Amino acid sequence: MTKFLAVVKREYIQRVRAKMFILLTVMGPVMLLVFTVVPGLLFNIKTGETRIAIVDQTEGQKLFEPIRRAIQKRETDQNNQAQIVQQLNANAKEKLENAGKRFAGSFSIERADLTGHSLEEVKRNLNVRIGKNELEGYLVIPGDILTNTNSKAAYYGRNVGDVMTTDQIRDRLDGAIRVQRLVASGVKEEEIEKLSKTVDLATYPVNEQGEEGGEASGMSRFMLVFIIAFLIYITVLLYGQVVLGAIVEEKETRIAEILFSSVRSLTLMLGKLIGVSFVALTQLAIWGVVFLLITLYGINALAARGVEGINLPQLSPLFFVFFVLYFILGYFVYATIYALIGSMVTNAQEGGQLAMPVVFTLLAGLYMAFVVIRSPNAPFAVWVSMIPLFSPITMMVRIVGQTPPMWQILLSLGIGYLTAFGLIWLASRIYRIGMLMYGKRATIPEVMRWVRQQ
Amino acid sequence: MAGNEITVRLDGVSKSFGEFVAVDKLSLTVKAGRIFGLLGPNGAGKTTTIRMIVNITVPDSGRIELFGQQVNPQLQDKIGYLPEERGLYKRMKIVDQLKFFAQLKNVSGKEVEKRIDEWLARLKISEWKQKKAMELSKGMQQKVQFIASILHQPDLIILDEPFSGLDPVNVELLKEVVLDLKRAGRTIIFSTHQMEVAEEICDDICLINRSQKIFEGTLREIKSSFGRNSVAVRFEGGDGVLHDPSLVSKLEERADEVEALLAAGASAQLLLKRLVDSGASISKFEMIEPSLNTIFITKVKENS
Repeated sequence: MTKFLAVVKREYIQRVRAKMFILLTVMGPVMLLVFTVVPGLLFNIKTGETRIAIVDQTEGQKLFEPIRRAIQKRETDQNNQAQIVQQLNANAKEKLENAGKRFAGSFSIERADLTGHSLEEVKRNLNVRIGKNELEGYLVIPGDILTNTNSKAAYYGRNVGDVMTTDQIRDRLDGAIRVQRLVASGVKEEEIEKLSKTVDLATYPVNEQGEEGGEASGMSRFMLVFIIAFLIYITVLLYGQVVLGAIVEEKETRIAEILFSSVRSLTLMLGKLIGVSFVALTQLAIWGVVFLLITLYGINALAARGVEGINLPQLSPLFFVFFVLYFILGYFVYATIYALIGSMVTNAQEGGQLAMPVVFTLLAGLYMAFVVIRSPNAPFAVWVSMIPLFSPITMMVRIVGQTPPMWQILLSLGIGYLTAFGLIWLASRIYRIGMLMYGKRATIPEVMRWVRQQ
Repeated sequence: MAGNEITVRLDGVSKSFGEFVAVDKLSLTVKAGRIFGLLGPNGAGKTTTIRMIVNITVPDSGRIELFGQQVNPQLQDKIGYLPEERGLYKRMKIVDQLKFFAQLKNVSGKEVEKRIDEWLARLKISEWKQKKAMELSKGMQQKVQFIASILHQPDLIILDEPFSGLDPVNVELLKEVVLDLKRAGRTIIFSTHQMEVAEEICDDICLINRSQKIFEGTLREIKSSFGRNSVAVRFEGGDGVLHDPSLVSKLEERADEVEALLAAGASAQLLLKRLVDSGASISKFEMIEPSLNTIFITKVKENS
């Protein structure tokens, strides 16, 4: 037992102290942030004003003013407390709009007067100005736009590839003209806003006992499933490779024989697997706390800036128990396979090549998660959540999506852990002999013989 | 410890890997408090034999006893083993590695730290205590590995080629330590194919070749069994004489002299006469015991 603990301790201390671990622990959340939030932010950042001219062909150019107002409409008092509360309660669509308003660049609008000039003439002038970079673009509003539903407005611009801006213009123009059409047909302007408010669709989960759950946003649940599946995938992959590296190191540096003269191979391998698993759990715990802090304090801060969209589904404590159980299962199944590969090869490079199918298997589990989330109780989902190579991801997805019957969870855990023990037994036998073989990679028949060998 | 106690006893031990027989019905006894040389050419089965004694592998047949008990994992703590294939964790501090290896032998605490300091000082590597292994030269790493194998004060110490790759100063340093350990009553199994070193420190030897034992006994015994029928000669001219197979059965050339093993029926007198007759100028002519190296090569040739 002392020896076992010594192996676990060495493995843990050495790895947690390593620069790589510290870097990864810090970089993990940063990377997640970079990959999820930053592209959105970058897309939204607009430098400078967008200068637009409006050519209004309607009688008396009466649409110019409503369109200008619509396009330039922005939230002016961002830091208003009441507004923050209002945003917290806003539905997803509104939040998205708010976010858009916050991040879109501002517009400056000018009137291109048609009086005394032909449309062609005005357009030619405006085109020249666009060429001189005095304008970004202009809108041409046909005279019959309020009465003829087939009438088309047109946008001429330097950069029509700026989808964000053209979309914004299209949306706001659309809104303004619809309102004006309604006004023209006799609806009072103040009534319109009230009547055209979007309809909310709330989603409530119902479990197999027929009980309704609290309101839960389907989107955030999907996000949660994705985060959990990805977290298990990336951590298992990462630490499986750590185990591979640890084993190959002891083989390459010829330390194995010294170790085997003091410790039994099973003790050594188990100590290694468990030591590294603690490292992984430490990292997950740190990340967990960081995410918790972000959700607790960050949501409000983000909401104040209009990027609110995170609405955490309620999770039972049992969920966390399952998460840890399935994470440990996934880790042991894959790390043991990595350990087995490590004992067969002579260096890390060879190990990496031989481990490719393992990576693909794990990746397959991640892809299955997307199928499983759509119908968590279909036969396919049930079957893949019983296979230990996939169950850590697929069963977790089912548990988040629509908690399956308890017997299925227990059966899947049972099969999984039995497989893990079997694999550990098998790997320790291969490890015992493979670690003392130098010079060449072991062949499959050789490995089979080692398993039987006393 | 009394001289007649037996530390290790192998009785008809065999081990095969597939078709290949690594050790074939090997029996030997290692007496307590002595240095036992396990000698043989590369691939003779030395390492396999040692691995079975240390309980890393299990014999197919036969029996191995350590300290009067059948080998078992608990006995591993009483053995210190320096394998031929050895290494250290590259990124771990020397002192941490040594503590770790001691823990694997169920030894820990303040006492170990004191011993680590003593040994590092004795092997003149104290200033490397807090350094990582990757910063050490190969020779220094080897000294650290040596310390790791004796830190837990084992009764049986097994050294597989402990001096390979060391400079003469360090070989001398380690040799002293090994002899001191023997004086302290430890039993030492010393495996090598470097006969000069074996000859200097071994009390008993066992010669194995092609997985079988060809000789076992004290160094004295093996030497006297060959008799004083070798001659060390330093001379100039008259080369051809020593290549006459009716006079010399084996010739070993050193830097400035040769060691000639007399052929059956030839005498030293005759050899001297023939050399003088051939006009050689002789500066040294001495009857000697054959070196272990000569015995080793002769025995291995007979066996093959």
